[in-house]
Amino acid sequence: MNDAASNPETSSPAAAAAASGQTRDLSGARDMIVCEDVSKWYGDFQALDKVSATIKEQEVVVVLGPSGSGKSTWIRCINRLEVHQEGRIVVDDVELTNDMRNIEKVRSEVGMVFQQFNLFPHLTIRDNVTLAPIWVRKKPRAEAEEQAMALLERVGIPEQADKYPGQLSGGQQQRVAIARALAMEPRIMLFDEPTSALDPEMIKEVLDVMKTLAHSGMTMMVVTHEMGFAKEVADRLIFMEDGQIVEQNTPDLFFSNPTEERTKLFLSQIL
Amino acid sequence: MTQPTHSSSTGSSNTHAAVSARVPLWRDVVVLKWVTQVALLAVVLGTMWFLASQAGDNLRARNINTDFDFIERPVDIQLGEGIDTHPDTGGRALWTGMVNTLRLSIAGIAVATVLGVIVGLARLSDNWLVSRLASTWVEVLRNVPLLVQMIFYFSVLTTLPRVGLDTGPINGWLHISNKGISMPRVFIADGFYQWLVVVLIGAVAARFVHRRRTRIHDETGANTSPMLWAIGTVALFGLVGLFVHPAFSWLGGVFGAVAELLDSLPVIVPQVVLAAAAIGLAARWILRFLAAHRSARGHLALTDDDWFRVIFTAAASLAIVFLVVRWTGLSSWILNSGRDLFHVIEAKFDVDGAARPFDAMRPDIVQKGKFPNYGVNGLTLSLGFAAVFFGVVFYTSAFIGENVRGGILAVPKGQTEAALAVGLTRGQVIRRVVLPQAFRIILPPTGNQYLNLTKNTSLAIAVGYSEIVQVGTTVFNQTGRTLPVVAIWMLFYLSCSLTISVIVNWFNVRMQLVER
Repeated sequence: MNDAASNPETSSPAAAAAASGQTRDLSGARDMIVCEDVSKWYGDFQALDKVSATIKEQEVVVVLGPSGSGKSTWIRCINRLEVHQEGRIVVDDVELTNDMRNIEKVRSEVGMVFQQFNLFPHLTIRDNVTLAPIWVRKKPRAEAEEQAMALLERVGIPEQADKYPGQLSGGQQQRVAIARALAMEPRIMLFDEPTSALDPEMIKEVLDVMKTLAHSGMTMMVVTHEMGFAKEVADRLIFMEDGQIVEQNTPDLFFSNPTEERTKLFLSQIL
Repeated sequence: MTQPTHSSSTGSSNTHAAVSARVPLWRDVVVLKWVTQVALLAVVLGTMWFLASQAGDNLRARNINTDFDFIERPVDIQLGEGIDTHPDTGGRALWTGMVNTLRLSIAGIAVATVLGVIVGLARLSDNWLVSRLASTWVEVLRNVPLLVQMIFYFSVLTTLPRVGLDTGPINGWLHISNKGISMPRVFIADGFYQWLVVVLIGAVAARFVHRRRTRIHDETGANTSPMLWAIGTVALFGLVGLFVHPAFSWLGGVFGAVAELLDSLPVIVPQVVLAAAAIGLAARWILRFLAAHRSARGHLALTDDDWFRVIFTAAASLAIVFLVVRWTGLSSWILNSGRDLFHVIEAKFDVDGAARPFDAMRPDIVQKGKFPNYGVNGLTLSLGFAAVFFGVVFYTSAFIGENVRGGILAVPKGQTEAALAVGLTRGQVIRRVVLPQAFRIILPPTGNQYLNLTKNTSLAIAVGYSEIVQVGTTVFNQTGRTLPVVAIWMLFYLSCSLTISVIVNWFNVRMQLVER
């Protein structure tokens, strides 16, 4: 976000390109997430098999694939909710190792949105958003609450600030979850199937918030089944199966001209 | 409902007239409901009256005395320990037993809670050895009967060396023998109540300090540890109070004046206050109840059960008013005990100005009967107390540990992940996210364990610790008043259990999650 503000000449055209669905040139941008040969096993089952990918600053990457293909495992490795066993993951020049300090640094720079929202049910919406700024960033409460209200305004539900998560609809809860992640002013946002637990009429309100976020220049990695969102917003699609990256390409080429047999089969089933 | 021509059984009163017009009485749900309520009430009252009168007749026929006169009569009982080891009357003996039971229960609940939390957390630990140890603790303790455990602790403790008169006088800090563990005792002395006033003022001050530190934290975000500051404030007042407490001796006069005032009041005053309170509370409850059932347009929708509750509340409050007016003894008893209470407090303040709030004594050994024993100067943990105490504490800690473990596991994994993902540290995740949610799950079953612990102390009779059941047994053996003593036991345990339930429920209601 800071770089976006200081580099208007690169960010604005890129954002405009993203808004129009065209491919934008990010080759000059710096690497935000670097994965090299990342592997992970659950017992005998290999969840990730030498996954290598680089995600540039301000890039929006959508990860597709059938269930059990390792998409969620991969995205959860990036802020160490799962521990990878082989390979390297470097997030914003900090490598994820067993070093507690590195893990905390990465987590405070990477926001995450979950399929099940995972709001804290014992706290009000406002307290959900201010919890981390107050206790991790040591912000004064007044300042944190002001920021929380601004974020709730941004996701369109400032009037719900004093309610509890249980009193909100799924779509509203997911938007609060996005606000909660943004409150830490992350440089990267990870979305793990953010719309999969929502009723159809609520999906749009969440996707709209995500689109605005993408257009503002946030680096995003999104696991989703929303093909419309992928086509419209993504700079790159990554298709996974059996823990491997099968194919990756720009949305236009991915949908119109897939190279791998497996990708064609997948697309024929979902489109 | 599907056939509109049939009368539907909604049973709500506002449709009552319209619906009943078409239904014979014996099929009308509303009528049936009321008839059952009234009939059931009559059956319950009738059965109770019948049983009571039968029991009374039988007891009279067999010449079994059910008087409570033994409470005032002298008894020849010597108790192992307690506030009065040679009680004058049966009532005093039972009171000593109650205090011993309360000592066991309160100390037991406190220690079992701490131990239980540790066991529960240890069982969840990633450390293999720690979690294995905790599992073993739980499995062994909860699968061996409590009585067996108590007797086991008792027999182990009796293998300690004997105490002899040649051992004392004891100058050490700690003395262990087969009579228990004795250590120096700090006790409250004459100046204590004056000192307590200083501490209470300190508690009020601590509240302000706590608020102020919280506000500073909210404004600057700095870590201000409000709780630590509050505790420090109380400690500071306690320390200063050790020197300045005689300054509060004038409070005795105030309490004396209150006592005189209560003494001069006519009986009609508490009668009016009690009657007004009964009517006021019932009226407030009814009004709130009606307001809660009134729709936004002012339409009152009450079911028959709702009506029953309203009528019952009104009737109960009228019954209380009747009781208060007819039974003047209650009101004069309140006045008299109030006066006595304030006179007692007044006496606590009427002390020598230089009296210390606390004093300490070292353990001693005396020989009253055949065997030497610890005297009253030290703080003695007797064998009986230790056996019962460790018995109930260890046993209950196993169950509380399982509650804690279950409560923490019941908090969805997603909560921890979300908290970690926004950057909270492990400790913050547990303190701010997991525990507040686990606590609501842990509390209700743990309240049950507190009840069990209190009731289980009655097993102390097996190791001869003089709690209420053991003392009561001695009392009815001497006086022959079995039923009255049993009635006192039941009433006592019932009051303890209800007190615990009320406290736990109060927390429980406060902790509920808000949904929809």
